[in-house]
Amino acid sequence: MIGFSTVATPVGILIGMLVGLIPLIVGIRLKKIPAGIGGFFGCALSGFACGFLGGIPMMILTTAVVVSYAYTVKDDPFLSRAALDEVDFTETRTQFLIRSFASFGRALRAASRAVLRNRAGFVGFVGVMFFLLMTTFGPLVIEYDGRAHYYDRLLPGSQTLFQGPSAEFPLGLDYQGRDILSHIVYGGQAVIATAVVAGILTTLIAVTLGAASALIGGIVDTVLTAITNFILTIPQFPLLVVIAAIVNLDDRLWLAVLLAVLDFPTLMRAIRAQVLSLRERDYVEAAFSLNMGLPHIIVREVLPNMVSYIVISTIFSIRAAMYAQVGLVFLGLVPLQEPDWGVMILVARQQGALFLREATSMLLSPILAIALFQLSLVLFTRSLEEIFNPRLREGL
Amino acid sequence: MTTPLIELHHVDRTFKKDNQPIRVLQDVNLSVYPGEILCLVGESGCGKTTTGKIIAGLLAPSAGEVRYHGENVNQLRGERLATYRRDHQIVHQDPFASLNPAHTIGQILSYPIARHRLAANRAEVRRRVWELLTLVDLTPPGDIVNKYPHQLSGGQRQRVSIARALTVNPRLIIADEAVSMVDVSIRISLLKTLQRLRETLGVAIVFITHDLALAKYFAWEGRISVMYLGRVIEVGRTEAVVHNPAHPYTRALIAAIPEADPEITRSKARLTLRSEDIPSLTAIPPGCAFHPRCPFFVPGVCDVAPPPLDVPPNYEQQVACLPLLGGGALTPYAEQDATV
Repeated sequence: MIGFSTVATPVGILIGMLVGLIPLIVGIRLKKIPAGIGGFFGCALSGFACGFLGGIPMMILTTAVVVSYAYTVKDDPFLSRAALDEVDFTETRTQFLIRSFASFGRALRAASRAVLRNRAGFVGFVGVMFFLLMTTFGPLVIEYDGRAHYYDRLLPGSQTLFQGPSAEFPLGLDYQGRDILSHIVYGGQAVIATAVVAGILTTLIAVTLGAASALIGGIVDTVLTAITNFILTIPQFPLLVVIAAIVNLDDRLWLAVLLAVLDFPTLMRAIRAQVLSLRERDYVEAAFSLNMGLPHIIVREVLPNMVSYIVISTIFSIRAAMYAQVGLVFLGLVPLQEPDWGVMILVARQQGALFLREATSMLLSPILAIALFQLSLVLFTRSLEEIFNPRLREGL
Repeated sequence: MTTPLIELHHVDRTFKKDNQPIRVLQDVNLSVYPGEILCLVGESGCGKTTTGKIIAGLLAPSAGEVRYHGENVNQLRGERLATYRRDHQIVHQDPFASLNPAHTIGQILSYPIARHRLAANRAEVRRRVWELLTLVDLTPPGDIVNKYPHQLSGGQRQRVSIARALTVNPRLIIADEAVSMVDVSIRISLLKTLQRLRETLGVAIVFITHDLALAKYFAWEGRISVMYLGRVIEVGRTEAVVHNPAHPYTRALIAAIPEADPEITRSKARLTLRSEDIPSLTAIPPGCAFHPRCPFFVPGVCDVAPPPLDVPPNYEQQVACLPLLGGGALTPYAEQDATV
């Protein structure tokens, strides 16, 4: 089962505050108090959102940023302008740790600058963050309205329980008189989580098989290419519909796997082509000549030059997975579980929302949520490009 | 004489294009001695780069053998193979393609050092990176190590490329047109750096170029090997080859070098070839591959069998030219005979 497992618990905030003490203490010791306090709140917030799992990475990230403010480039003898016989490179383990943390923190700061610099990317980032925060923290503010209402919410003289937006219910009511806003807030969890898992799976399969196909070649390449050709020839969505009709997709994880298996060939072929081209580069040849070994060549020489492409492709896979998923739900081929944006569209249509003016909100709200999330993702890729390409990152 | 670092024995290399074999190298015999400079010169497509890659161990010969300290490299295994690979490093032509754009210069140089444990600890790795950068005249090193290749100029990148080749303490560096894509103003200083490295570190250099003038300048104390359509046609001390070229092709090349003084260049005796076109590698002429263009063509001798590489009378270098090896002088070929 996939989903936002630990969402916003009081224990989480305690964990977050606890791990947040580390950047706070580091900040105070290095006399960078504002940065330390920022780190503390960052940890508390993310611990609040994801408990232990959110607190620990956040602690590492914020500590790195705090340290990078204190330990600047000037403090590293390696980057000094001294002559060779004037410098001393020896360092203790702690010094090395601080140096690594600082360079990691600098990379993070460079990344955040890249996000801020690109306007389209920043809008996308804000959008993605909005939806993520809404689905994680929204449930704290808004109660899920899952019970059917009748007399208590039926407006006098009205034929249906559907309602347009009002002060009490900002997004109106659905066919059972339930608050649409609460369904939008709660309904994103499953959709987003499944799409993200499917997108990541797609990328993993595509990168592994694509790189293997290009580097091993021969029979492996022939077989893998033949398989992808086969999958690519079949129209994807109809095939998905047929499979979904046969297989019982109770578990969202299996749905994600199915989406990934159908989506990977396009990306795999692109990765294969890129690896084939990168393999012939002079620096790869030099690495062979330096006897660096195949793992180094794949991980250090070939992959770093594809990272921005891979990350952006992951985003697009997430996008595709989301549409496919909503499409399946809309056709009723996946067991329906409320709350879910896709289910909302399906039910709205079934309840005749297409012909009722009062029901516009029920139909449009999930559609807009999905469309805006997708748009944010696509815009965000602009920033990702800058983050992962050293040429763009430095702004030169 | 000292034992050669690496020897090519009757090396052939064939590439396949559209199922048609292309013989890029035929019967190449070369030796590289420790600490020497060997220049490979020739037109594009003559197999210089392929020879360089075979020496570097990046390509395997289709036939013949490559000997490393007297051992056939095909039989090298494990540690011996690793040392063989590391002993021969290549510096590529294009400084914009030879450095990984995703890494900083510091990373590019420290990966091989760390990988082959050529330094005791992290501090030593960093010291070695600085040493290497100082060695190739990139100072102060602290300004360079955190830069990405795209932030450096072509000449600086080529120096980084040389420094990377030096990380593993090679005994031979193959410089494949290493200065041809660098600004002319930087060429000489790069060549001087290479010379100095050869003198101080004792590395041998195989310098591949199409520019005979450059070869003459760079390899004055070394040897020159002239290649034509996949064969070595003349090899010997640079001074001997330049002052007393034997093979008609070498003569034509030397005659074509422009001199600094335009007066001399204009009055210089040119050697007119019978044809300007280089034959295609898919249809190499029989016998001496140069005979369709050679002004000293002898029918019935030059177009029968490929000439062996040997020292002709009155010369000190090895030449592959049958009329010369037969002891005779070269006589201009009378064109009217060919019209029959």
